[in-house]
Amino acid sequence: MITERHLQIFIALAEEQHFGDAARAVGITQPPLSQGLRRLEALVGAKLFERGAGGVELTPAGVALLPYARRALTSIEDLHQAAVARDPEGPEIRLGLAPEVPPSAGAAVAAACGSMIPGSRVTVVTAPTSSLVNQVGTGRLTLAAVLHPAVLDGLEAGPVSLLPTWALVPAATVDSEVVALRQLKGLPIAVRPRAEAPAARDLFLDTLALHRPDGGTVVVTDERAGLAMAAAGQAIVVTADPALIAPGVGRHRLADDPLPLRLRLVWSRTRTPFLRPNDVMAQLTEALAS
Amino acid sequence: MNARIRGIFEDAGVRGWMHAVSLDEPEASVELDADAVVPMASVYKLPLLAGFCRLVDLGELDPRERVTLEPSARTAGPTGLSAFADPVTLSLRDLALSMATVSDNASADALLDIVGLRRLAEILESFGLRRTWVRRGTAANLRDLQRRTGVDDPDAALAVLADNDRTDPVGVYEAANASAASARDLTLLLRRLWAGELLSASQTEFVKTTMHRQVFLNRLASGFPHDGVRVAGKTGTFGALRHEAGVVTLPGGAAFAIAVFTHAARGDFRQPRVDAAIGEAARVAVDVLR
Repeated sequence: MITERHLQIFIALAEEQHFGDAARAVGITQPPLSQGLRRLEALVGAKLFERGAGGVELTPAGVALLPYARRALTSIEDLHQAAVARDPEGPEIRLGLAPEVPPSAGAAVAAACGSMIPGSRVTVVTAPTSSLVNQVGTGRLTLAAVLHPAVLDGLEAGPVSLLPTWALVPAATVDSEVVALRQLKGLPIAVRPRAEAPAARDLFLDTLALHRPDGGTVVVTDERAGLAMAAAGQAIVVTADPALIAPGVGRHRLADDPLPLRLRLVWSRTRTPFLRPNDVMAQLTEALAS
Repeated sequence: MNARIRGIFEDAGVRGWMHAVSLDEPEASVELDADAVVPMASVYKLPLLAGFCRLVDLGELDPRERVTLEPSARTAGPTGLSAFADPVTLSLRDLALSMATVSDNASADALLDIVGLRRLAEILESFGLRRTWVRRGTAANLRDLQRRTGVDDPDAALAVLADNDRTDPVGVYEAANASAASARDLTLLLRRLWAGELLSASQTEFVKTTMHRQVFLNRLASGFPHDGVRVAGKTGTFGALRHEAGVVTLPGGAAFAIAVFTHAARGDFRQPRVDAAIGEAARVAVDVLR
């Protein structure tokens, strides 16, 4: 019996022309991919691919049968979609957001999530990157927007989005609209605890140390605390949130944007409810960065 | 114990794999995902060194035979003959020395050509290694990277991996097509080498001496800031991969085979925290096993 998986393998190999890449596209490893292909070739009674110098190529039989496979797979996907649309509960999409994600960006991703699967219910939690990666890995979350770079341990991840950041500085410290990082002297920069995302935090701190050798940092629990410290004249906040303001605190662009917020969507290859996760994540990534 | 090792890797922003074992009491070990097969990067030069020495023992290669390497045919790299400007003529054993002590890519590829992938695979199998595959040398590895990044120049292709603002091209860290091994297999190789089970007394001595002459002290050796502790090792670095496999010998003579593989979240060429984490993990393991 030809299964949905056989069709996925056929189409992925035709598109990727590489066993490893095709296996990744289907979400399996190489041995079951090869095995599935052999089974499909036995079922249709024809060799579908030749191993060439640079990868795999369709045989004439493969070329002839590919359009039928595409149509069959599309029909199966339509069936899934129709079934999902009929479910009164709808699937649940559990979205995780790192605390550094600006509220408006997080809202845009959540809204886009909801429109991806009609009738779905979106729930959202905020947690540090290390916790979100863990929760996506164990299936407690469907996907998450996390800081990059982070150790992802086999999770799927979308492209890196760079969000520009502003320096929130006690008024009267600097006057120009754009400031160089090294001009921000005398006050510590508020940072969240390192353990939340060691690699991303170290990259931030190493970049900071390169541009601004003195001034130091002060650990804060969240941007609310950081903003309050800035208002009290005690700290500088670096934020990607375009709406974070307070009386007595000036917002300044940083020259050359040395400390962009790097964000990435992560999800589990085997647990995604999306039929074409890569397409969905591309749209969600757009929502994150817009 | 694993929690401590895991904590070291987490703090350094890496995914880590490790196996450490006492040479005298191999039933005692410290391990973390020790059977996972990981791309070896330049650690493949260690099984290649052992394979070369085996062929010398068999009389198939003459260690004093001289070869000439032309600059145009040499593999690129930061050290050894890779960095030289002019043709170099040297003996096979000096080629092996340069390969193992400074991770010279040009010497390694020349030696791999002479030893041959098939011959090496047979030797590694005869050594009892079941999860160690030398599938290609550095030149082929760089060609694969150039293909995946779509960049012509090896340095520019490596720069893509080092850029924290970009996503790694698909498959560059995949074990399936690369030279790869499990941490446990590498400590088995080291243990058998050190016990003199694989090579003649003179070739065993050559391997040990050569590995003790390795110039990189920033990884395993960094965990043992005491000249009384001897460290023989072979590092591997490729993109975000940082590895080392070696033997640590304490002043009393107790010795431990250790293999640590890491895959850093950050892409930067220079990652001193990761190098130090490899030393720290080794130190913790030795303290448990001694």
